[in-house]
Amino acid sequence: MKPLGLAVRLLWRDSRAGELTILFLALLIAVTSSTAIALFSDRLERTMTDQTAEFLAADMVITSHATIPESWLEKATQLNLAQAQTAEFSSILIEHDELLLAGIKAASANYPLRGFLKTTTSDYLAETIEHQGPEPGFAWVEKRILSALKLNLGDPITVGEKKLVVSKIITYEPDKQGDIYSLSPRVMINKQDLQATGVIQPGSHVHYFFQFSGESSQLTEFKRWLKPQLNLAQRILDIHEDRPELGSALDRAERYLGLSSIVVIIISGVAIAMATRRYTERHLDATAILRCLGCKQRDVLWLFVSQFLILGLLTSALGCALGWFVQEMLFKLLRNLLPQSVANPGWLAVFLGLITGMTILIGFALPPLLRLKRVSPARVLRRDLEPLPTSAWLVYGLAFGIVGVLIWQYTEDLNMTVTIFCAGLVLLLILGLLIYLILILARRSLPIMPLNWRFGLQGLLRNNRATISQILAFTITLVAMALSFTVRSDLIENWHKQLPERAPNHFALNIFPEQLPTLQTDFKEQGIEGSQFYPVIRGRLTEINDVTVQKIVSKDSQGESATHRELSLTWTENLPEDNKIISGTWWSPEKKGEVSVEQKLAESLKINLGDQLLFIIGGQQLTATVSSIRSLQWDTMKPNFYMIFSPGTLESFPGTFLTSFYLPDSKKTYLNQLVKKYPAVTVLEVDLILKQFKTILTQLTEAINYLLYFALMSGFTVLFSAIYSTLDNRIYESALLRTFGANRSLLRKTHIIEFTLLGLVSGVLAAIISEGLLFALYSKALNMDYHPTLYLWIALPLIGAFAVGLAGCWGVRHVANIPPLRVLRDS
Amino acid sequence: MQTQQSRNIIVTENLGKSVKTSNGTLHILSDINLLVTFGESIAIAGESGSGKSTLISLLAGLDTPTAGSISLNGKSLTSMDEDGRAAMRNQLVGFVFQSFQLLQGLTALENVMLPLELRGDKTAKSAAVALLERVGLSERLTHTPRQLSGGEQQRVALARAFVSKPAILFADEPTGNLDSKTGAKIIELLFELNLENNATLILVTHDQTLANRCQRIIRLDAGRMV
Ligand SMILES: Nc1ncnc2c1ncn2[C@@H]1O[C@H](COP(=O)(O)OP(=O)(O)OP(=O)(O)O)[C@@H](O)[C@H]1O
Ligand SMILES: [Mg+2]
Repeated sequence: MKPLGLAVRLLWRDSRAGELTILFLALLIAVTSSTAIALFSDRLERTMTDQTAEFLAADMVITSHATIPESWLEKATQLNLAQAQTAEFSSILIEHDELLLAGIKAASANYPLRGFLKTTTSDYLAETIEHQGPEPGFAWVEKRILSALKLNLGDPITVGEKKLVVSKIITYEPDKQGDIYSLSPRVMINKQDLQATGVIQPGSHVHYFFQFSGESSQLTEFKRWLKPQLNLAQRILDIHEDRPELGSALDRAERYLGLSSIVVIIISGVAIAMATRRYTERHLDATAILRCLGCKQRDVLWLFVSQFLILGLLTSALGCALGWFVQEMLFKLLRNLLPQSVANPGWLAVFLGLITGMTILIGFALPPLLRLKRVSPARVLRRDLEPLPTSAWLVYGLAFGIVGVLIWQYTEDLNMTVTIFCAGLVLLLILGLLIYLILILARRSLPIMPLNWRFGLQGLLRNNRATISQILAFTITLVAMALSFTVRSDLIENWHKQLPERAPNHFALNIFPEQLPTLQTDFKEQGIEGSQFYPVIRGRLTEINDVTVQKIVSKDSQGESATHRELSLTWTENLPEDNKIISGTWWSPEKKGEVSVEQKLAESLKINLGDQLLFIIGGQQLTATVSSIRSLQWDTMKPNFYMIFSPGTLESFPGTFLTSFYLPDSKKTYLNQLVKKYPAVTVLEVDLILKQFKTILTQLTEAINYLLYFALMSGFTVLFSAIYSTLDNRIYESALLRTFGANRSLLRKTHIIEFTLLGLVSGVLAAIISEGLLFALYSKALNMDYHPTLYLWIALPLIGAFAVGLAGCWGVRHVANIPPLRVLRDS
Repeated sequence: MQTQQSRNIIVTENLGKSVKTSNGTLHILSDINLLVTFGESIAIAGESGSGKSTLISLLAGLDTPTAGSISLNGKSLTSMDEDGRAAMRNQLVGFVFQSFQLLQGLTALENVMLPLELRGDKTAKSAAVALLERVGLSERLTHTPRQLSGGEQQRVALARAFVSKPAILFADEPTGNLDSKTGAKIIELLFELNLENNATLILVTHDQTLANRCQRIIRLDAGRMV
């Protein structure tokens, strides 16, 4: 026997007869979209990692208070990592009798490893991009330094004991970040001049940044090697940890991309299962003939399985190519939003698309196909000999297993996979039960129905199994589409809320109390909108309930880093916007000595309501009682505080004020005026970061909108495959009814009722299930606030009834026109 | 003994088939004792529902009996598994059915080649072309069943049945779906081919004149030979 030749021939004939169209489309959409999504998110993620790497000026940074062991650098060299170093410290500069606290940065060769610096030599000239810091003997400074110290370019400036020449004005520094409350204007010098400044002495506060870049596998290896050797004062910075506002947006977007993939795969899987069901039923006769001619069971099965494998490979390959193309188009469409250089697509993602395609095919098509193995050869003589359907356990078990594996692969989170998996199982059981109850109810109500309703209902009840699987298919599809639509809208809305049009893009710090009234008036006159002015007092948390904090915290935790440095403490009468009380109560105005602690810090330091916290502020001690725990939104550009005290607690300590405000590009020059009038005030310009952040969110939003189309397309294949799966039966039954005198209008009404009911029931069930899943998804996977989605309860049943009704009637539109004799003879 | 056995191509002993239904057991066939010698032609007659189709599906190994035994060409069908019976069908048996039973996806030529291809026979194509010529369809080799009339389809079915040079041909009302003129032509062709191949013929028919062309007539009534 030459099974492969025969398989190819049968496949070719079937495909020409249109028997495989839906199967082909469903698989094609699944592979195309999952490849496109995998490629796209892989590329986008790497592009953004590159982009965000600029914020660190490297791929990975070790911060330390002292130099690090030589062996670490050797290891990095071994791993082919590029290296650079910077040292940062504060120093008072005195020129022309003016005094200014500046942030000095000494940069080695190769700095910055990622991104670039921008400088200018005059207000009127364009900025120059620099890939190196200043040469030895020179200093680059921020513009504010010049105005505050009455300097011009070319003038000498003394840092510590070293005299340098001011040669350029720095306008952009990629890695200017960290604790924004302590940032002072920048003076950048060469690392070789560091020793000569004489600033580095035992006990001086210097932060060293050791920067590395290279292959991500090498970096991972380096990180793994390094982690156990870090001491308490050393830390590894990377993008996800140190840019929380970007990190969470990226994480959510990645999860959404993953979710879309899974949604499309599930929908397509359902379509494939339905299409295979029909394929199987239409090949029962051919199988019986083959068996009758002496084909063994094994050979028959192999004949069909090999056809599916060939179809699967061809379709998957085509899908991969299409997915590649779609992904290229997406990047073209988003070209204006993306940075100049975009990471190349990864070949692995294409390969993954192929694997995904074959996996879906095997998972969803194999069980219905197995039925062909049991066809009795005696069917050639008695057509009613139908093989038993494949056991439901196998059908759903395999599909579930495959979906589980795919979810695991996309989330890379076993816990979440198990959660989703169990939730899905429970929902499916509930769904099955509900459908069963509905069918029983329908059967009971049959006798009291008018004729066309009775025919319609009977149409559904006659083929119980097919009806159940159709309702299941429609419900799952509607649920998946509802999920991907709702999550998408909420995600986008969430981002918009996070960064409103006029989000604050500047911080003003170090405002002395005596300057506060005039500054506030100035802001009002200029029409500048800003947040409240918060007092800031620097203090250190030392004891919790008389226990030293160092004994409480675990290494590497957020609490650990919080106890190592001074915290910015504030007081306010009213709870700041975007803060939420998690436990305890916000104070009444006259309560003194109370403190409200940020939730994550409280968790990591194990602080509870009623605890006594001891702070050291400027050498003095202060005790406060924890009266509430707050959550805050870190990803808004507003002043945020770990510790907020009740009014009347901190007033006696010396402090400054801080605010954030919105300044449009057109008013940017006002900053010069501001800095001139209040030389001590530090202005932080975060508009650049903010712009970049907004760009990234816009990119993601666009990408996500396109993904929705995939879900829609695969939804349509389900619709048609499910309708077609019972088409042969319906054609036959209608022909029969017509020979008994049923007229066409009765048949048409029957069909409308039948399909609309099917869609309506599926829609109602889908609403129930979606609501449950949304709840689980929001609270467990996406960390977003859950709101009941009322519109789903109206939209889903309507869409279900309308879409299924329409598609159904369209599918059977010819049934009423075929002469009944032909139908009956053909079968 | 040896020669005696090889002369009997079909032997059944107390063959019976019953199925369980909701109203108890239904005996479709009981106590069929049949002895068919090599090259013999036998007609099976009987009213509708008397069990004719059931009998030939048992004899051809398409279905398994619930009682008794069958042996084909000296080998016990009843002790074979499904794959054994499949091999037996492929080697020994040809079929012609009332409803033609051609594979819709394949051309006339490919349908006729099928039994030989399943055997792994390299000469499948030339043999199939020769037989299609013999049944007068040399012009229709690449046509699919849908493009052929009922009579033409049945001729393709005849070619397919004889292409593997079967020792036994089973025909279940081969003219049932054809008009009498076309049916008569098909029957002529069937007997001619049967003679050329020296095959044993088991023919199910309602038609008395057709039954009379066979050497022996077996009548079934309610599942029993009469
Ligand atoms: N698997 C089965 N289950 C139930 N009843 C069966 C089964 N197979 C056959 N029968 C019944 O056995 C009886 C004989 O069927 P069979 O098809 O052999 O009759 P037949 O003589 O070929 O009739 P016809 O001339 O109409 O073709 C019929 O009443 C049929 O309904
Ligand atoms: Mg019959």
